[in-house]
Amino acid sequence: MKLFATYHPSVLLVYFIGVIGITMFTMNPLLLLISFLGAFGFAIQLENKQIVFASFAFYIPMFFLISVTNPLFSHNGVTPLFFLNDQPVTLEAMLYGAAIGGMIVSVMYWCRCYNLIMTSDKFIYLFGKVIPKLSLVISMAIRFVPLFIKQIKHISTVQKTMGIYATKSIVDRVLSGFRIFSAMITWSLENAVDTAASMRARGYGLSGRTNFSLFRFTLRDGIMLSVILALLITALIGNNMGVLDYSFYPRMSRIQISPLAIITYITLLTLLFIPFVVEVEENRKWNYYISKI
Amino acid sequence: MVHNIEPYLEHKKDREGKVFGYLIILVAIPLIIAIGVSLFNDRKYNLISILIAFLSCIPFFLSFEKRNPKPTEMILIAVMTAISVVGRFIFAPIPGFKPVTAITVITAIYFGPQAGFLTGSLSAVVSNILFGQGPWTPFQMFVWGFLGFIAGLLAKNGWLEKKWQLAIYGIIAGVAFSLMMDIWTVLSMDGNFNLLRYQAAVLSSLPFMAVYAVSNVIFLLVLTKPIGKKLERVKKKYGLN
Repeated sequence: MKLFATYHPSVLLVYFIGVIGITMFTMNPLLLLISFLGAFGFAIQLENKQIVFASFAFYIPMFFLISVTNPLFSHNGVTPLFFLNDQPVTLEAMLYGAAIGGMIVSVMYWCRCYNLIMTSDKFIYLFGKVIPKLSLVISMAIRFVPLFIKQIKHISTVQKTMGIYATKSIVDRVLSGFRIFSAMITWSLENAVDTAASMRARGYGLSGRTNFSLFRFTLRDGIMLSVILALLITALIGNNMGVLDYSFYPRMSRIQISPLAIITYITLLTLLFIPFVVEVEENRKWNYYISKI
Repeated sequence: MVHNIEPYLEHKKDREGKVFGYLIILVAIPLIIAIGVSLFNDRKYNLISILIAFLSCIPFFLSFEKRNPKPTEMILIAVMTAISVVGRFIFAPIPGFKPVTAITVITAIYFGPQAGFLTGSLSAVVSNILFGQGPWTPFQMFVWGFLGFIAGLLAKNGWLEKKWQLAIYGIIAGVAFSLMMDIWTVLSMDGNFNLLRYQAAVLSSLPFMAVYAVSNVIFLLVLTKPIGKKLERVKKKYGLN
């Protein structure tokens, strides 16, 4: 378990919505770079380094594809590089494409981290309060998936032992596939009715029943949530004062370097690197304690 | 085709709630889109579209919460969702070939539009817990839910009973799914709607569109009758009604 994952699910949800929202909202290249580095650094802390770098090799072609193809769809900009079918291919359109590519890759990495941190139990816990019935449906469906896969394997083994559809021909395999699927559906429907009867017998839906959950909102969560919200609000104020404004068309604007802009960038840098710093600090502590043993 | 499983899932009290639900769907969604278009008159449609897609699902969710569904009903939706997710999982090696739409449509035929919407949108949520969530999740939630909802409405009015009607709906659903997901592709890249890029996206996703349509038709034709029979059988065996 990573340290950042131990924060209360509501803190994590606010954080991820905040950073993914910021990344998708902005077209400012500096901010996109910060966001990408934050997400990539966090991903490296969460996963095996080799896996993360391998995924990066997958995103690089996507990044270049988007930046190269954007000029084909957009002819704005004042710096033509060359003409294709009498249409200008502009530097601005290409760099705009690069910014979009960077944005998409950053969002992908944030979502990757989200998938590792926000496990389904946290998701159900958060939404269980707002939509209790649907959360139960979702949590049952999540549980049914491995159960059904296990059942499919059972049925398939039995069928093979009985010697039904055991040849290697494709027709046989497809037919046995449908037969197994059909048996699985029958079984799962009966299983469902049994479960429902059991739920009724145990008094599901009666008033006065309480829920168990492992998550407690502690002081530590409160501090983290306040820090995240304070940084988000500061960044939002900066954005509303226009210090983050950046446009590619008709010509690329400059990145502002007023004191206010610098404060806003530092705010965002802090916000986007929180998980990375939390994990690095935890690793440092861990190695320090290990060295003491 | 059997339609009499539906009554035990629908209670008289819910009528008002349902009318309210339809109103939200038919009035609120266009309103949200209109607000999005007029207020955010810049290039932030990627964010707005996710918001709209997500908000569009909320009336369905809330009307389900409010009418206090029975445990049997909740579990049947969970089972149908899990079946479509397992199907997507089994057929994952063949890109685009997935039974999610077909299972959603079948659920909608037997349990009504609301159950259809829920199965479709929850299939998106649950299968993306396994396949990875992304900004496209709300879009898939809405598109699959919408396809289930429409199928439920059609089935209520006596459509989708014959095989050719199912096949046509399967084709339309496959094309619609592809066209609507292409809208997301364009919005996520451009921030606003670039017609030229949309044409390119549609063109490059034509093979997928074909696979979606073909797989929908196959799954609908093969699965609708057997699953209907099974539902009937379970109902008889356990004396549900």
